[in-house]
Amino acid sequence: MTGHLFENVKILEFGGGAAGPLGTRYFADHGATVVRVESRVRPDFIRLLRYTPGDPAGFDGSHMFAMVNVNKLGVALDMSHPQAREVALRLVDWCDVLAENFAPGTMAKWGLDYDSLAARKPSLVMVSTCLNGQTGPDRNYPGFGGQGSALAGFNHLTGWPDREPLGPYGTITDSLSPRFVALLVASALLYRERTGKGQYIDLSQVEAGIVCLSENILTFTTRGQVLERCGNRSRDAAPHGVFRCAPEGDDTDRWIALAVHDDEDWRTLRAVMGDPDWAKDPRFDTVEGRLAHVGELEACLERWTMTFRAQELAERLVQAGLDAAVVWNFAELLEDPQLAWRGHFREVDHPVIGRHLCETNAMRFSGVAERQFRPAPCLGEHTEYVCRELLRMSAGEYEELLAAGVFR
Amino acid sequence: MGQSVQLAGNMNLAGFRILDCTEEPGYLAGKLLAELGAEVIKIEPPQGDPGRRRGPFIGDTPDPELSVPWLALNTSKLSVTLDLADSKDRATFLELIGTADAILETAGAGACVGPLAHALDEVELRKANAGIVICRLSPFGTTGPYAERRGSDLTVLALGGNLYPTGNPDRPPVRCCLPVTHFHGGIELAVATVFALWGRSTLGMAQTVDVSLQECLTIPNMTVPTQYPFTGFTGKRVGGGFRGAKAFFRELWPCKDGWISFALRGGPARNPGIQALVDYIRECGMAAPALERDWKNYNHNTISQEEVDAIQDALGAFFRTKTMDELFQVACERNLLLAPALTAREILASRQLAARGFFVDIEDPGRGLVLRYPAYFALTSLGAACIRRPAPRIGEHNELVLRSLSATRDRT
Repeated sequence: MTGHLFENVKILEFGGGAAGPLGTRYFADHGATVVRVESRVRPDFIRLLRYTPGDPAGFDGSHMFAMVNVNKLGVALDMSHPQAREVALRLVDWCDVLAENFAPGTMAKWGLDYDSLAARKPSLVMVSTCLNGQTGPDRNYPGFGGQGSALAGFNHLTGWPDREPLGPYGTITDSLSPRFVALLVASALLYRERTGKGQYIDLSQVEAGIVCLSENILTFTTRGQVLERCGNRSRDAAPHGVFRCAPEGDDTDRWIALAVHDDEDWRTLRAVMGDPDWAKDPRFDTVEGRLAHVGELEACLERWTMTFRAQELAERLVQAGLDAAVVWNFAELLEDPQLAWRGHFREVDHPVIGRHLCETNAMRFSGVAERQFRPAPCLGEHTEYVCRELLRMSAGEYEELLAAGVFR
Repeated sequence: MGQSVQLAGNMNLAGFRILDCTEEPGYLAGKLLAELGAEVIKIEPPQGDPGRRRGPFIGDTPDPELSVPWLALNTSKLSVTLDLADSKDRATFLELIGTADAILETAGAGACVGPLAHALDEVELRKANAGIVICRLSPFGTTGPYAERRGSDLTVLALGGNLYPTGNPDRPPVRCCLPVTHFHGGIELAVATVFALWGRSTLGMAQTVDVSLQECLTIPNMTVPTQYPFTGFTGKRVGGGFRGAKAFFRELWPCKDGWISFALRGGPARNPGIQALVDYIRECGMAAPALERDWKNYNHNTISQEEVDAIQDALGAFFRTKTMDELFQVACERNLLLAPALTAREILASRQLAARGFFVDIEDPGRGLVLRYPAYFALTSLGAACIRRPAPRIGEHNELVLRSLSATRDRT
């Protein structure tokens, strides 16, 4: 085991929420120094999610903030202060990558737009990510992930045909965009290593979501067909769905996900069920037949699944070689043995929240050391460290700026 | 770096050669890497990648060159066909591996390793190219208690915790009709590849990377599962809405011709938008007493369910009088946090996307078609990370790539 992948990479981050900060987390989890710039004057909105006035935890009690921003350092800098820009420029001089996810124009308002910064530092890699991108008539549209999911088409495609268009849980563009940020920044670093040149990256979260859903677009442009949400059914397989299992105590929300991919799977399922009379119906022998009578098939199958506890049924089906799973709720997810095997959930000790779990990405590299995880910064927790140790400010200069109210 | 035959000019990954042995869950990875400038060669069996046989097809007749899902996510790649059971093709494959920087593969349902690993073990692979980056995407990872277990979009969603909370409370958990696990996993596989290339270059060592789709699907729950020990919230489905400290809020609303997303979420970033919407409703002559309150200091954690219901009744009545387009235009003009749930038809008609040149007509002379696609996934000061060629036909680049191999042979 040698070092961490990004141990010599320095990232400066402005912005808030999850879509930007989860992108830099990839680098923080692999050893990069990530400095997050925030301000008490306008706190990151996810610091306020459960905030009520008078909360003794102040801006440091947000679980979501703490879980998103693990492994980063935090600086408080009031960008509306006349001396703040000078400090920000010194941070830019220090960093390799500047990541921001404000509304378009915010960085420019502070004189921190790419053109100004690149003139000073041509090797800078800068990424801006917002919902609609940095240009175009609707660039200032102020959406969050919930809006991004709707505009990219995910909502329309998720849910039941006779119900509202839901979107996958958790505002999906907020979790797709960070992956794109990581990809773009890492490839820009490779380019910079070869050429010495930096670059500017404009990632529209809506556009990136639409690229993932290219099939949605191509289905319309080549077939004139608008794709519609269709519950859990598949065009190619049946049964393919989520079926009710027996209640456990007062929990009636127990489900099994089952995908019968082909006729061989179907024969296996029949054997597991003890080949009941309904399943012998020749209409169900082929995938075409099962798809044509899918409603009846699902109803019959669910009468069988409802007689089992979900975990017991999943074990039977998986044992037989079928593609089936208990639909984990969040409590069960935290106990999942495979996620435990991979060390997906890590525990850190936060000074305000106490011990809590956080997550990491889905990649495991041979030959790189595991990083010891550190809790997310309290607001401004590392201001002095960053100024004195990373920017090499004198004690006098730091005290002067502090007294002037720059570090709020 | 490998010996690319494709000119990628001034692009991030120009000069890198990547062999793409993925099936459906990994298609997006190679597309993104190619659109960043890498030369991505899709290795297919002589009869073509099995994913090419998935419909729907352009023109309704099953044709492996016209599969819509395949065409959607395999743009910008080259295609070379090799029969790995044939000793001559196998030798060519090893030679090709010798010229590549990375090799990607996915494990299909039912196995923790894919066709590549079945044909070639890691020792042979490393013998052919000691420095190659090997990236594997599988449902659960290549080791551990689920390593041998099957997994597909639906069951990986179930075990990643993203299925249970999606849907209506009176119905089963529900998924998106296109495979979001492949999108999360495909991008993650591309990230893993570039991270490993970076590691090879800076730490000076070859990398094997193991990417788990299940793990990709926990992050989209946006930390709510890891908050469970504090909140006790197991992810119960709430339909189109969210829960504040004292009340439940609606998030999806029927309008005149479809659905829109809007919620009474508070906070300094959001309150001005609620005020602007209320002002607009008043201008439209639909003012209601419940809507007149101090929105500047609104906090969704302190408001009661009775108050929320009264406000939402007034909002719901108003939204039903407007179309998706009317409401979105107002949202853009007045900074409202409101968005229509768009279908492909409306996305293709978006003025914002038109202004950015987001859709392009890709000429596909091999198929005699012109196909309209989303052109790029990011804009950079070097240029767009955009489609560089149509999705390849089966074995379209056999000759081109094999010729480059013999040229390499001649040089050495």
